[in-house]
Amino acid sequence: MIRLVYIIIGTAFLLLSSGTASGFERFPPPDFESGYQQPTPANPAPRRNIYEYVDTAVLLAGLSLSSYLVLRTRSRRAILALCVFSLFYFGFWRKGCVCPIGAIQNIALSIFDRDYAVPITVMLFFLLPLVFTLFFGRTFCAAVCPLGAIQDLVVLRPISVPEWLEGGLRMFAYVYLAAAVLFAATGSAFVICRYDPFISFFHLSGNFHLLILGACFLLVGVFVGRPYCRFVCPYGVILRQLSRISKWKVAITPEECIKCRLCEDSCPFGAIRAPTADWPAHDYNKSKKRLAFLIILLPVLVFSSGWIGYALRPVTSRVHATVRLADRVYLEETGQAEETTDASSAFRGTGKDIQELYAEALDIQAGFGLGGWLAGGFVGLVLAGKLIAVSLRRRRTDYQADRAGCLACGRCFEYCPQEHAKRKLAKDN
Amino acid sequence: MKTQTDNNYKSPLKNTEVTRQWYHTAVAAAVIGGVFSLIALELMVFNYFQRTVAEPKREEKLEALKIQLRQEPNDQQLISRIQELDSQSVLDPNLAKELDVLKTKIRDNPDDQHLLSRLRSLYVQIRQDEIRQLDFQIRKVRLRRWDFSSRGSFLLLGSVVVLLVGVKSAASYKKKLPAPQPQPDRRDEQVHKAIRARWAITVAIVVLGSTALLLINRAWLDFGAADMQVTSYPSPDEISKNWPSFRGPGGLGISAYTNVGASWKGTTGQGIIWKSKVPLPGHNSPIVWDDRVFVTGADPNMREVYCFDALSGRLLWKRGVMNVPQGTAEPLEVMEDTGYAASTAVTDGRWVCAIFATGDVGCFNFDGKKVWAGNVGTPDSAYGYASSLAMYRNLLLIQYDQGGAEDEKSKLIALDTFTGRTVWETKRPVPNSWSSPIVVEAAGQPQIITCGDPWVIAYNPTNGTEIWRAKCLGGEIASTPIYAGELIFVIEPYTAMVAIRPDGKGDVTKTHIAWSIDDGTPDISCPVSNGELIFLLTTEGLLTCYKTDDGAKLWEHDFEKNFLASPSLVGDRLYLLSDKGVMHIADFGTEYKELTTCELGEDCYASPAFMDGRIYIRGKENLYCIGSRD
Repeated sequence: MIRLVYIIIGTAFLLLSSGTASGFERFPPPDFESGYQQPTPANPAPRRNIYEYVDTAVLLAGLSLSSYLVLRTRSRRAILALCVFSLFYFGFWRKGCVCPIGAIQNIALSIFDRDYAVPITVMLFFLLPLVFTLFFGRTFCAAVCPLGAIQDLVVLRPISVPEWLEGGLRMFAYVYLAAAVLFAATGSAFVICRYDPFISFFHLSGNFHLLILGACFLLVGVFVGRPYCRFVCPYGVILRQLSRISKWKVAITPEECIKCRLCEDSCPFGAIRAPTADWPAHDYNKSKKRLAFLIILLPVLVFSSGWIGYALRPVTSRVHATVRLADRVYLEETGQAEETTDASSAFRGTGKDIQELYAEALDIQAGFGLGGWLAGGFVGLVLAGKLIAVSLRRRRTDYQADRAGCLACGRCFEYCPQEHAKRKLAKDN
Repeated sequence: MKTQTDNNYKSPLKNTEVTRQWYHTAVAAAVIGGVFSLIALELMVFNYFQRTVAEPKREEKLEALKIQLRQEPNDQQLISRIQELDSQSVLDPNLAKELDVLKTKIRDNPDDQHLLSRLRSLYVQIRQDEIRQLDFQIRKVRLRRWDFSSRGSFLLLGSVVVLLVGVKSAASYKKKLPAPQPQPDRRDEQVHKAIRARWAITVAIVVLGSTALLLINRAWLDFGAADMQVTSYPSPDEISKNWPSFRGPGGLGISAYTNVGASWKGTTGQGIIWKSKVPLPGHNSPIVWDDRVFVTGADPNMREVYCFDALSGRLLWKRGVMNVPQGTAEPLEVMEDTGYAASTAVTDGRWVCAIFATGDVGCFNFDGKKVWAGNVGTPDSAYGYASSLAMYRNLLLIQYDQGGAEDEKSKLIALDTFTGRTVWETKRPVPNSWSSPIVVEAAGQPQIITCGDPWVIAYNPTNGTEIWRAKCLGGEIASTPIYAGELIFVIEPYTAMVAIRPDGKGDVTKTHIAWSIDDGTPDISCPVSNGELIFLLTTEGLLTCYKTDDGAKLWEHDFEKNFLASPSLVGDRLYLLSDKGVMHIADFGTEYKELTTCELGEDCYASPAFMDGRIYIRGKENLYCIGSRD
């Protein structure tokens, strides 16, 4: 009976909502014969500064609460509730901006461009999650990040991604970080914001291709937990490294691990590491040689990646509007393109000297050359480092949350019989 | 005494029953949410495709209607369009009734001018109504779709939330307990995992590296390596080999070639390589670039640019410059002697640009493709607009002198040849004039020299700022200045020729006028000079020779016939084309010494163009190529 009532209420509510979707004009279009006066265009007033501080305060409160819930309360439900709140506040209410992920670019630009000043709130948005991660692990990812939250809520049938594949796919995030910093530092573009796959959802409107991209991430996310966080998120790359050295860490069990294996498949993000067995003795010498080879390979990879980054400057610099414009104007000037674009047409309207434009583009391209060395070198270092990391013989005796990869979602807590025993004990007391 | 189990667990049966009920409720909510999500999504996708596919078609129709309205149909087209109109589709019942009446009347009296005039007005009204209505509908539909999309987003969000809550709740009631399977040998597994991990990273390295190498090997523009000095505009050397504007390179009227014909006869075809009819009249002169010859022609209704093959004389293409943006359909009256196409076109080897008496400007590539067209305003010119165009780099220069000086309507305009956009525009303190601007490299900088009453003004071509000005002219200025022997020569009709040093700043009237003479000055044609001597030819046929350094008169010769074309120099010979099409070829030195005369057999008002072994002369109706067929 109760069920029937719920169904009826739900259906009625949705029917009423759908009635409004038919829509009609909010205001009549201009009637040309009635002396309609075009209103003077006016820019909307900027958002009041106070709200930026409110956002920062909410972020701080969210991080504190998340850390408390993950490390002290160990309640998945509370974490989920905070996750939903963050999604609606930082996502749908604040439209996903400012977010710490995008703030990477502001910081990068402010370092390389002396004329660019980062607002204090943006700085705090960038730094607060890092500081919290340094102390409490990735509690920002757990329940405060709206991008993580929207993906977390659609995890329905998670499948396990093999560890080796996950490691390979994760390399994309490092490349993305390097590219995002390069483009931001050269003042070319904020690619993280431009290609944020979920921003269209938060705005309930947006570029069709981005909507499709976001929908794809969510669809994949039904089966592969948080694909953006694990394989793409550039901020996640930084958080991973800080989380490795965090003072406090997420533990699957509140007590000693009894190796019951019940938590083994509980993590939809593949962040639970099983105890290791002894490594085969006959492989020891071979492993040593391999490790030595990989260490020697490291500078080679760093240098060659750096060179690739440098050599890619004609490609990467095209992200900069001035270089694209100069490129287009060059094609037009040399007769390789006849039609002008809006940008080249506007440039020609300024009467500015084309040689000046070329010189500016050349200067920017040179910046990309240096940036390419650094970004490429960073990618090479990561790749070589990862090769070395997977060749090291690690030893683990317990089931542990991967310190770098654990998103502190708290799903594994309830799989641990020790957790249940502790809760029962607490309840009894 | 109750056991601990009794305290903590309810009846398994009751628990199962309640759980099952909640499970089914959650499933039902998920199904409802899912169905609504699908419906909302489907409607939004449909709405999106309607917006991106159906609406543009309607917008295309609107644009087509606007273009049709701008195009002024001739009487026959008007009648045909009116007959096609269905009065049922006319929105205003009064107009519909009138349409029916006029349709019948015009069938009986197709030449009734009064009726045609009323029909034209009615046609415009009906079309305007149609455009307004369609525009209204487009806006209405667009706003409705935006609104639909916005509301749909909220609905979709709500239904997705219901779906997720339902699915998650249902899943929580059917949660499977973990059941670890027996473990394989961990030692082998971890070794294999490490191997696979290394391979995965290696594959990532190969994929990233090969992608990067593929990108590097594509042809990208490297600003450090490419020749960035390449420009769209021709080099001075290229310009000197062609005849790109009125009176050739620099507007000097000097041929770069001496091997041009010196004997021809139009009536027999002797020395004539080809002769082609120009469809519409025009007093403008031919311009030539490599194997293309361009002239323009116009009448009160049509304005066209013609491209002829220099080798065969075949008309390669003709393009109209009508119904241009900002243009007006109002008929313009000009003096017959001036015509609608008195201004000579200009080319830089890539584009060819033309201007007409209506102020319509068109730019085409060498294949006849329109690059842009526009209107710089209907000129207020006493005899009709006649100034020729000039070019500096990518700028098309238009001396647009009009009205009286007090009207402040005159200006010098620089349009970007790629887009037709105004790059700069400078007001000129002069009334209407018919002189053309020239661009010269003088006193170490490029200068645009312009003449008007009373000012000769030099401008910086890059930004239109004034460099110097001299107050030395008066009357109706038609002659174009020339630059020779480090001096600028300007003509005041029938009154004076003034030589100005072009290295001044500001008002140089008192400081930079080298000399002036008042004898033998023409009213229309331009002077020609070899740097040491300067020749003036009046409309009435008086040719006078002066020294350029001090203005001393050397000799004069009276042809006793009329000349409208400006004189030209080919090597050490003067080429003088009379209005009856007779070319006088003469040596000059201490006196005029005629070598020969060549008759074209057709009246000529335009100045000839000289190329390698060829002369291009525009007659009243035909374009001639003179030279040897070998």
